[in-house]
Amino acid sequence: MITWTEDQRSLRESVEGLADVLSDGHVEDDQRGAFPRAKWDRVAATGLLGLPVDAEHGGLGQDVLTTMHVLEGLGHASRDGGLSFSVSTHLASTATPLNRFGSDELKRRYLPRVAAGELIGAHAISEPSAGSDAMAMRTTAVRDGDHFVLNGSKAFVSNGPVADLVVVYARTGPAGTAAGTTAFLVPRDTPGLGFGGPIAKMGLKTSPLCELFLDDVRVPADHVLGRVGSGFLVLDYVMKREILYSFVINVGEMQRRLEQVVDYAKNRAQFGSTIGRFQSVQNLVVDMKVGTETARLWLYHTAQKLQSNKDTTIDVAISKLVASEAAVASAMNAVQVFGGYGYMAEYGLEKDLRNAVAGTIYSGTTQIQQGRIAAMLGL
Amino acid sequence: MSAPEIKRFVVEQFADDVTVDDLADDFDLLDNGVVDSLGLLRLIAWLGDRYSIPVDDVDIEPDDFRTVDAMTAFVARHRAVPAAG
Repeated sequence: MITWTEDQRSLRESVEGLADVLSDGHVEDDQRGAFPRAKWDRVAATGLLGLPVDAEHGGLGQDVLTTMHVLEGLGHASRDGGLSFSVSTHLASTATPLNRFGSDELKRRYLPRVAAGELIGAHAISEPSAGSDAMAMRTTAVRDGDHFVLNGSKAFVSNGPVADLVVVYARTGPAGTAAGTTAFLVPRDTPGLGFGGPIAKMGLKTSPLCELFLDDVRVPADHVLGRVGSGFLVLDYVMKREILYSFVINVGEMQRRLEQVVDYAKNRAQFGSTIGRFQSVQNLVVDMKVGTETARLWLYHTAQKLQSNKDTTIDVAISKLVASEAAVASAMNAVQVFGGYGYMAEYGLEKDLRNAVAGTIYSGTTQIQQGRIAAMLGL
Repeated sequence: MSAPEIKRFVVEQFADDVTVDDLADDFDLLDNGVVDSLGLLRLIAWLGDRYSIPVDDVDIEPDDFRTVDAMTAFVARHRAVPAAG
């Protein structure tokens, strides 16, 4: 068990204090499917977007565990799951690799504004035909003097429609090899970079997503993150944090939902008793509790291992699997306990269920994680 | 000496159809497809654990893991020095 310090608790409290602001109009915002920039700015004002960024570049210089503790608070406080997802995407996609792998010049130029949330980040990995198979990507980057010239297209770019910076992963070496990809930091206004319109999706509707098109996009060679050919290692570093950040937000959301359901079950009367006295309802709620605690334990256990420089390849995959499936079950059980009200949009619980399904898809589907675990076992 | 141990791991995990003696120190494991992307992560994880190298904090690139020779050099460069005495 982790005992949080006074500083860590107060960082979290600054986000928890925004609960009313961030949750205001969340059902209507979901129906409109618009990115809530004003709420983003309120989150940014707490310093949250600079949590894992070094202090010399305008961040708070916090470790992965502290960042997670605060993000769990964001999930707990905000009923706008799309906004929270955009926050974790920004932190993982751009702030993380820029802070770890950017040159001093690149960091000096972009990182303070990334940490402040003035520049919104995204990353472009998946491709229409390749999905999670990063080695099958077709987008290429060819060296031309002091630049690389990028060509190709990317699918499922979260934050894409509102992003100012995109980390693009492209092939700089032979197809199908582990040393063939490179990560590039590409500003939005770079000529040849085209953004598709926001694409409608099942959940996380306030977190906009689009396709990305690269047509002879010239990127200065000093905008490479890490080294040429190291994109796969950058991606692995990024994905581990993306999973820890996104799913600890889900843990906060599960915790809030649990509190909501317990409160409802203790007060809603049916057949001469509160429904919380019915064992079948209790079982639904207990499963939510077990799922929340299990996901929380896995995520923080993995983060502690990561911070101790231990191999976490299997742990991250298990954490992702456990947390994403627990989130779907938690949302489903909440709909069930609330009955007809759970199914109505105005309570926001059906939205939570739609949002939770995304977690079993992004950052590698449940089946991809199972494949990873199998491979790590040598199967 | 890390080279024989690294070679044994590579053969056991990725190329169990060859013997340790058959695997040349300079054989390119990446270009020849012996080690794929997930395999590369497994190699890095194993080297980090086995030789106490903080792989998240040191500068690494795929070339460091291309051959047994390269991995041996990587370990020599980053291996935590045991406390004296």
